[in-house]
Amino acid sequence: MRVVIAEDNALLREGLVALLREKGIDVVAQAEDGAGLVRIVGGHKPDLAIVDVRLPPSFTDEGVRAAIEARRRQPGLGILILSQYVEPVYTQELLAAGDGGIGYLLKERVGEVRAFLDAVERVAAGGTALDREVVAELMGARRERAGDAALDALTPREREVLGLMAEGRTNAAIARSLVITSGAVEKHISNIFGKLDLPATDDDHRRVLAVLAFLQAG
Amino acid sequence: MAAEHLDIRNDESPAPAGDSSALGIYLALTALAGFVTTVIWAATSAGYYWPRWVWFAFGVPLAFWAAVRRAREVPRRSERRLAIHGAVAGVLSLMQIVVWWFGDPGTFWPIWPIQVFVTTVAVHALIVYRDRLPFRRARVLTERVDELTRTRRGALDVQAAELRRIERDLHDGAQARLVALSMQLGRAEERLESQPEIAELVRRARLEAGNAIAELRDLARGIAPPVLADRGLAAAVDALGRRSPMPVVVEVYLDRRLTPVVETAAYFVVAEALTNVAKHAGGAPARVMVRQAGNRLAIDVSDDGPGGANPAGSGLTGLRHRVEALDGSLAVASTAEGTSVHAELPCES
Repeated sequence: MRVVIAEDNALLREGLVALLREKGIDVVAQAEDGAGLVRIVGGHKPDLAIVDVRLPPSFTDEGVRAAIEARRRQPGLGILILSQYVEPVYTQELLAAGDGGIGYLLKERVGEVRAFLDAVERVAAGGTALDREVVAELMGARRERAGDAALDALTPREREVLGLMAEGRTNAAIARSLVITSGAVEKHISNIFGKLDLPATDDDHRRVLAVLAFLQAG
Repeated sequence: MAAEHLDIRNDESPAPAGDSSALGIYLALTALAGFVTTVIWAATSAGYYWPRWVWFAFGVPLAFWAAVRRAREVPRRSERRLAIHGAVAGVLSLMQIVVWWFGDPGTFWPIWPIQVFVTTVAVHALIVYRDRLPFRRARVLTERVDELTRTRRGALDVQAAELRRIERDLHDGAQARLVALSMQLGRAEERLESQPEIAELVRRARLEAGNAIAELRDLARGIAPPVLADRGLAAAVDALGRRSPMPVVVEVYLDRRLTPVVETAAYFVVAEALTNVAKHAGGAPARVMVRQAGNRLAIDVSDDGPGGANPAGSGLTGLRHRVEALDGSLAVASTAEGTSVHAELPCES
């Protein structure tokens, strides 16, 4: 797996590079700003770009805009955004930005090394990795919507599984996280899709999109 | 020796010590002259008391000195000048009267020079106290209000910019360091698989770092949500609408980015109003309209809920203070047909 990193804070960039290299991931180039990201993606054709939201020169959402531009030039590029805050607007823009894996994680999740590497691999392979805070915010908004009986029809366990699906986790990862068997996870998932009236699919990515579409609907 | 040096240096202070000692010598000499001439006068004719002119020469500088010394104590510069002017004019007038009295007490001629002195002092006083004249007073007050409005606005702008700077510093400083810390703790945890007890300690340390990061994040969000600073009011209000639990129709008409202080105030008006709708309107849909017309920004948030909003509640009162600090206004109308919050903010560019 070939990865590029765009992060202006040297401390974090070096930490991230060290962590990824330690785990045998090939960090082929690094950038400190949005223009640099677009350039190194063009030069190295990586599988994944790990990008800080705030980059120079604007220090606003430069990272999101540069990542979307980089993907426009290299369709299929996985984008894993690291941010110090949850901003659902950016998640929605990224999810709408063409084909390829999308991740949006809070920066401190990098410390959960295994889950982070899991997310890196998933996004590089075209999957989704949304921070649990993002999912919680989407779920909370959806749950509070008046007259929304659909979520209330789920059992607490099924809601947990729904949340993990929305984060982009695979069945195996969900099973590990909840300490249940894969069979139990599959059964929960089929119940959830039945109750929410979502189209069943084996494709993980489509499944995430269906769940997210449901959470954002209404 | 050292003490002497110190004394010399103290003598160099700006107090006009030399003047008064010169005056002292002069007064001593003229007093002596007055005494001697009085003795001579007594010993000779003892008729017309001519040494009075010597005493006159003694009195005039003394009178000047005393009058000016008091006048110089007035603190305000322009008033001090007037006081000195008045003192000099007063002593000169007195001089004229004394000269008239010493000489031929016929026509009271000193009236003419005294009138000139009084006129100049009066004109001077008018100039110094012109701001207290009734027709000037209104204008001065208007200017003062304008100035205060401008400086208060400036202070608020500075404060808003400063808060955003603090937020940025937190992001680039403490938060980044804590993130780096939790990364390193995570790496350490990975290498401690064979020593689960130590790994558990490291994991707890990492979770603590995570809690600290979350607290800093909440603090930063309270200052100004990132999307507001990044994308401006329209995007931030739109995000608020999307995040609300009830359906919200958002319309924003802006032709430019507003100043941080206006953006933040407008954002919090919409946020607080939508929070109230979510809490009290029973899921009724809400409408948000933010419209800039000239130098006014109008914000309307309304719902079709059952009403009953308390305009004196703490949330709305806080909003009102925020809006009024910018010379804006906030009105809340709550009836059985629904509740509406209307705020107006000046937003000159």
